[in-house]
Amino acid sequence: MATDTQDPKSEFRKNQSWLYDTQSGTYVRKSLIGLLTLVVFTYVLFPLYWMVVTAFKTTAEIQQIPPTVFPEDPSLQGFRMVVMSSLQTSGYDAFFEQSFGWEISSAIDIDILTLILNSLKVAVGAGLIALVLGTGAAYVLSQREFRGKNAIMSLLLASLMFPGTAIMVPEWELISTLGLFNTHLALILIYGAMTSPFVVWLMKGFFDDFPDSIVEASRIDQCTPFETFWYVLVPMARNSLIASFIFAFLLAWNELVFALTLLDNSKFTVPPGLLTFVQGFNTQWNVVAAASIIISLPVLAGLAYIQQYFVQGLTGGAVKG
Amino acid sequence: MSYVDNAQASYEHAIERVPEGVRVYLPILPVMSLVGVFILYPIAQAIYSSFFDKDLLSPAEAEFVGLANYAEIWTSETIHQVLWNTFVWVAVGSIAAIVLGFLMGWLLYEKLPFTSVASAIVLIPWVLPRVVGASIWQFMFGGSQGIINELLVQLGVIDEYIVMLGSTDLSLWPPIVGMIWRLAPLFALLTLTSLQGIDEHLYEAARMDGATPWEQFRYITLPMMRYNLAIGFLLMLIYNIRNFSMVWVMTKGGPGVSSSTLPVMIYRTAFVDFNVGLASALSMLLFVVLLVFSYYYIQVYDKVQGEF
Repeated sequence: MATDTQDPKSEFRKNQSWLYDTQSGTYVRKSLIGLLTLVVFTYVLFPLYWMVVTAFKTTAEIQQIPPTVFPEDPSLQGFRMVVMSSLQTSGYDAFFEQSFGWEISSAIDIDILTLILNSLKVAVGAGLIALVLGTGAAYVLSQREFRGKNAIMSLLLASLMFPGTAIMVPEWELISTLGLFNTHLALILIYGAMTSPFVVWLMKGFFDDFPDSIVEASRIDQCTPFETFWYVLVPMARNSLIASFIFAFLLAWNELVFALTLLDNSKFTVPPGLLTFVQGFNTQWNVVAAASIIISLPVLAGLAYIQQYFVQGLTGGAVKG
Repeated sequence: MSYVDNAQASYEHAIERVPEGVRVYLPILPVMSLVGVFILYPIAQAIYSSFFDKDLLSPAEAEFVGLANYAEIWTSETIHQVLWNTFVWVAVGSIAAIVLGFLMGWLLYEKLPFTSVASAIVLIPWVLPRVVGASIWQFMFGGSQGIINELLVQLGVIDEYIVMLGSTDLSLWPPIVGMIWRLAPLFALLTLTSLQGIDEHLYEAARMDGATPWEQFRYITLPMMRYNLAIGFLLMLIYNIRNFSMVWVMTKGGPGVSSSTLPVMIYRTAFVDFNVGLASALSMLLFVVLLVFSYYYIQVYDKVQGEF
């Protein structure tokens, strides 16, 4: 490889393959990469496109064979049916009929409003638990040395891997024993337990990177450790805290297994609610797609906000984004 | 004295009564008890239940049967089929997601403009609610109106529409395709992040020494990314093996058990057949595999922490 040649550039050129050296090679290379990009990103993006398009088709168009790639007759029928059904199931139809003279009736049965409210309740609860408990623990784990610290960190990391399917059966037994079956409190506690290790790792990453001099300065100003934490670190950690909360929120918003096994239909959150509708008799896919878009919006808003923390959060802070 | 000062004064008063050595554990205690009760305790419970013949609806009448549930796993053909499905699922799903994700990450880094916007868009499949993503794929693969059937006909792969989700031979594959779609973006983002973390000067120096693009990749890019790739690899394995929603939404694990993986089988055994004992034994199987993966995950993790 390395030689005594005077001009490293020429040596560099000589080492290139045909693919890099010649005009035709460059064309081949460029078109291969272009084709690859097209295939890979079609795979990722087409299902999303398909969801959006389907939501704007009419029920008649959904049933066409072969399916249409562009909606021939874009309509809001799907969205209207989701909203109508929700209003009707929640019992607001009489109100609208009396006040505005709107006739509300729907052939389908998905009460997305109640599902969303249930999910919000659970997700906010779990997010707050994870945030409050996780941050304090993260501060201590970051700033102090003590016996068993590594064991605790490893245990928290490992506990990120198990929730969901591996423990759904014993979790059901536990929740039944505690008398929490079919309550949202059960989900709040479980999601809190699932997400707080996550928050610990994320916030520990923040506190580790925090300049010692600021902590030192507050100590010189006679702050107790608690005051340093509460008046100095927490305000500066605002962005990380918001990101942590959003992570916990999203997990709770998306979780299916525990919501499906620990709740009845009446208390369902969004994921099992949508599942029941999808697996129901004679599924209307434009309605499903419309409902899917509605419940995905909070997720996409959250993603836009926390994108820069994403890798760090997903890997428990192992990879800094 | 404000409320905050007041609360803090009483906090300090209380905290001083706690011995010095124990004090540091106090902020960790709430997290650990929550995790202990709702994540670690159920694991112990599963070990215990796996030795019983237990019905979900009448758990009080459980009967100790020793290793009978594990013996059933050992002998049951149905469960063997499920384990094989799980193996295929994890192997194919992880490798495909890694290859595709790596390509995506590399394209995002090297070839495409607007990297941060593009990577946010690419991430959507991963953050979309699981049930939403799985529903889209079910619709695309499903019945008579599925776009994938039409696509395959157009490409000349098949002559007429075929049943995919309801076919014993094919039903394992559609959920895998959906799962790769969900996981590849995550790996892509990991790849992108670690590529961005490599110092440009290393490549410059290598080029001066006459390294070809392949050599640069082999001797700079790969070694620099090795821990991130290892973490990504383990995450792919873990997410794949514990996945439930993609299969359950698309096929419910059927027909028969043709598309069931271990998590789906656990659900069906416990909540459809009400056989808690066998479901717990199956959970232990999943648990042991996850434990091995997590062990390596923590190992790699410690290395990363040590290095940076």
